[in-house]
Amino acid sequence: MKLDGVGRRYGVRGPWVLRDVQLEVPARALVRIEGTNGSGKSTLLRLFAGIDRPTAGRITGRPRAAYVPERFPAALPFTAAGYLTHLGRIHGLRGPEAARRAGAWLERFGAAGHAGTPLARLSKGTSQKVAVAQALLAEPGLLVLDEAWTGLDQGAREVLGSAVAERVADGGTVVFVDHDPRRLAGTADARYRVTGGRLVLEERGRAEDAAVVAGPRVIIEVQGAPGSAPRSGDGPDSPPLPGRPTIAPGPDGTIRLTVPAAHSDALLRALLMARPPWHIRSVTAAPPSATDPDEPRMDPGSLAHCDARDARNAHDAYAAPRPQAARAPHGVPQARDESGRNVHHDPGAEARP
Amino acid sequence: MIALLRYQAALLIGSHRWLPPVILYAAFLAVGIQTGGPMLDSYGFAAAGTLPMAVWLARICVTSEPPAARNCAAAAAGPGRVHLASLLTAALGALLLALGGTAFVALTSDPHFSDHRVAVPVLPATAAGLLTALACVLLGIAIGALCNWPVLRSPGSAIPAGLLAALLLSVLGASPANAAVTGMVSGSAHGTVSMPWLPLAGTVPIAVAAVAAACVLSSRRN
Repeated sequence: MKLDGVGRRYGVRGPWVLRDVQLEVPARALVRIEGTNGSGKSTLLRLFAGIDRPTAGRITGRPRAAYVPERFPAALPFTAAGYLTHLGRIHGLRGPEAARRAGAWLERFGAAGHAGTPLARLSKGTSQKVAVAQALLAEPGLLVLDEAWTGLDQGAREVLGSAVAERVADGGTVVFVDHDPRRLAGTADARYRVTGGRLVLEERGRAEDAAVVAGPRVIIEVQGAPGSAPRSGDGPDSPPLPGRPTIAPGPDGTIRLTVPAAHSDALLRALLMARPPWHIRSVTAAPPSATDPDEPRMDPGSLAHCDARDARNAHDAYAAPRPQAARAPHGVPQARDESGRNVHHDPGAEARP
Repeated sequence: MIALLRYQAALLIGSHRWLPPVILYAAFLAVGIQTGGPMLDSYGFAAAGTLPMAVWLARICVTSEPPAARNCAAAAAGPGRVHLASLLTAALGALLLALGGTAFVALTSDPHFSDHRVAVPVLPATAAGLLTALACVLLGIAIGALCNWPVLRSPGSAIPAGLLAALLLSVLGASPANAAVTGMVSGSAHGTVSMPWLPLAGTVPIAVAAVAAACVLSSRRN
């Protein structure tokens, strides 16, 4: 996604709230926007989300977006679950799937008891949970959070933090504003400040990213149910697993996922929330040797297990340039990820009678 | 778009804000249409009443969401499409109202011209009544689109502007809605059923242009 010379002002002769914003945001990135009150942060976020159109310049390559407002005073004639189902449909989900995800997200935020409560009767914090769930349930390519943490209780704040990490790990872009400097500290790929109508780069790169990759790793042994398909699906656009685990066949038809310890929670959650869920056999700390990022983690021969379509997808992925390729030194190289995904399809096939 | 229409329709129905215009229109029909009156005049009268109701319904649908909720839907589907869905919902609601009014007239009026002697061909007359109502609804939606957010943002200017425009376009001879209604009434007096094709051909581009302008503006103003 690219912002090219973007400016915004309200009214024909109004002052420029933003001017000459040049910004390129890759997929799989967490971007923090800072600035004082009234500096134009919210305007920038509205431009990101596509709610506003820039007065000058253009925005290209925006994926399907979801937006969380700072305050969600929803005087709407719906129940919480009903509203979420409507929004899920607007995001392109089918009705039953939207309703299922609405329930799942309300439960994750600890608001399952309010699913049948009319929105007008919800407390401020619970309304905010609905606003956040609305954006997360459709797994958008671009998630825009305008002080979304405001009003959430401690548990929900942590859930939102890990949901943001999952969105990024799944290949999404997250842009957020928050006045708490510790919010998602150290995980943002870039930090920008809006000042005097300009966007200034404060810091680029994930300082501890290399530390996370080289840090302690966790081995998760899982087994798929008979006939189960991995959550990542079959399509070429299916997202990789959170934390981009290294995948290798384990004993007894299990598979071994090796992932940086910082991402293990997100990965476990993704495996357990898959339909049908994966059976977790064991979670153990990896021996230090597994942390060498240059060690070949994949037996190339195991690609032979894949069906022709998977092999084709893998080939496409090798050929297609991707934005995150630029970050290869920090992350897991692309090829490994793709082949890993293909191996991930295997146990399902093996488990079938 | 279907998901957006479902959402907007659920908003309209669930909010019960449709009740006042429906009750007012029912009262308008009950008071203004005499049982056994000439059919074409009654159709023209019933159609004329749908114009202000369409303006009102457009205002209800455009303002049914608080800005925070509108932003959430706009991020997902685009602000223009969200606005289009709300205006289409208003148009569908006004058309239902027009169908109800036409059915009421068809059941209660006298199927004769205004001399009460020559019989009116019922089917062409009903078709002409429906088309007249459609012209009035479309013009009402056009007024509603131009006299509300995002074109006129404060209620202080939007409501008087909408009322005034609805009144003027019902009364002034140059308005296509007025031309369609007048065509029905004079047809009744002259013993002919004339289809309001010309007024309808005038309102369709007006409505399309007004709705398109409002939808384009919805992402530029705030």
